[in-house]
Amino acid sequence: MKKEYSKEILEEITKKFPEVTVKIHGPRRTYLRAPREKVYDFAKFLFEKKGFRLSIATGIDTRDGMEIIYHFTHDEAGTYYNIKTVIPKDDLKIKSLATFLPAANWIEREIHELLGVDFIGHPNLVPLLTAETWPADLCPLRRDYQDEHKELKIKKKAWEEP
Amino acid sequence: MGNAKLWGLKKSPWVFHVAAASCNNCDIEILDLLTPRWDIERFGIVLVGSPRHADALLVTGVLNRKNLPRVLRVYEQTPKPCLVIGIGTCTCHTHMFERSYNVVGPYNKYLPVDVYIPGCPPKPEAMIMGVVKALKRL
Amino acid sequence: MNIVRILFSYIIFPGFIFSAIVGLFLTWIDRKVTARIHWRVGPPWFQPYADFLKLLLKDTIVPEGSSKTLFLLAPLLGIISMSILAVMFFSMNFNPTSTFVGDLIVIVYLLALPPIGIILGGSASKNVLAGVGASREMTQYFAYELPFIIAIATIILKAGGSIKFGEIVLAQQASGPFLYSISGVITAVVILLSIQAKLSYVPFDSPEAEQEIMAGPYIEYSGVALAMYKLARAMMLFLLPLFLISLLWGGFADWWAIPKFLLIIVLIILIKNTNPRLRIDQALKFFWIGLGILSIIGLVFAYYGL
Repeated sequence: MKKEYSKEILEEITKKFPEVTVKIHGPRRTYLRAPREKVYDFAKFLFEKKGFRLSIATGIDTRDGMEIIYHFTHDEAGTYYNIKTVIPKDDLKIKSLATFLPAANWIEREIHELLGVDFIGHPNLVPLLTAETWPADLCPLRRDYQDEHKELKIKKKAWEEP
Repeated sequence: MGNAKLWGLKKSPWVFHVAAASCNNCDIEILDLLTPRWDIERFGIVLVGSPRHADALLVTGVLNRKNLPRVLRVYEQTPKPCLVIGIGTCTCHTHMFERSYNVVGPYNKYLPVDVYIPGCPPKPEAMIMGVVKALKRL
Repeated sequence: MNIVRILFSYIIFPGFIFSAIVGLFLTWIDRKVTARIHWRVGPPWFQPYADFLKLLLKDTIVPEGSSKTLFLLAPLLGIISMSILAVMFFSMNFNPTSTFVGDLIVIVYLLALPPIGIILGGSASKNVLAGVGASREMTQYFAYELPFIIAIATIILKAGGSIKFGEIVLAQQASGPFLYSISGVITAVVILLSIQAKLSYVPFDSPEAEQEIMAGPYIEYSGVALAMYKLARAMMLFLLPLFLISLLWGGFADWWAIPKFLLIIVLIILIKNTNPRLRIDQALKFFWIGLGILSIIGLVFAYYGL
């Protein structure tokens, strides 16, 4: 039941979006590689028409660029569908999924503050988890981040300084 | 009068739990202590809901840039005399998070900790022994 | 001489100190029986006294921006009213002719003062959670007062229409306790559940819900003021079952009162340990609709002499 369902979905996806390459990793995990411009339409199609669910999004700094993976799941097929995109490092912009997916709101804020990726169209792109005194353009999870934090001042009374 | 004060504090320390960026392992072990197997109410220890009712603060987790002012504020709100008991290795010496961009150092730089209970997470027997040693030292 | 006797009875026996000591002992019985039900070992016998002593000797912190006099004087309301009630109960049971007309109404009004103390104290601390706890306490007070008053009206009816506390005790000594009749049993159930709500015990402890509003109206209290609140609750645990026994079970002027008293305490503890907490709107519906109809049925039964 599960295998047939996932086969149906894969056939439909490859027919509709020919730029997406499919690689089946195991019985419950499928990697879909998509170029940067097609991610928005692809994710919108999956979420609204097919009933996929966004589980989490991850980002990593690689040699080819910044790689962002959106982990979608499908309950009836019982598999994870991971959408991989690679963003070149001198142009870190991608269209935000938070306009139609409420689940992507906070995770995109976290990727923005820790990796520096700019999500176009996000309703509220402010830092989420770092401290209030942390400078907003210092991205700790990049490969070229030095230990600059030791010179930054530590604040002890949050309610006395403006 | 000092003796009566100490007797009261030794026989019924009320405890408030402050979790500063912990992984919740030590928190689960603290809640273990209230279950029938390692009953901690026989020492008079009660988990209270407000730091103003507390005599001892059980702190877990690593201090962050973001939660340092908040933890200090909770410590100031507790009426003195109060014990601070650090549970878990994260309170002793920031464990494996030493090089992180967010960590501001071990607890004894900012708070006067009385007892450390190492372990990741410490066994409930170790926690009971630590609490009893802290009470005997008063 | 009279002044000395009056002061002795209000402060030492059976007023403040006697009911404080016995009340704190009863809270120890409560904690020990609860621990036994959970298969644990409970605290030792001197635990509530150690708690009280420790609280007396800690700092009292008054939050900035709260009204200082109201914050510090609100806990005293409960203790003063409970001391007066202790003297009234003891004197009217051992000496039933020393009552005056309308003293049952005075008792009902004095029993309303501890919740008012909690509401005032919770509202005087400058804290949102304390305000929520105080409003829940107000709602719960409105909830359980209605069946409580109808139950007392039932008892007045059964005693032949007199509003004197001593005459209710005398009527029971003459013709058997009011409990041995259908309306008596119904009234006993109503008053027992109202006592549970007045003491803020589970299932009616949403004003002080620890998981939701972090100690409710008591959240900013520390030191002597908190000790006074805990002491008022302990004295209520002693005096309210005595009230129930005097109204319905023949008064406590003889030695049989001690097993009756212990039975009521055990019932309160058992209800406390076997029930989850009710939400504030569920508690309101339970008291007004469920117990309200039950108490009116009791009133109708009492009118027809059953």
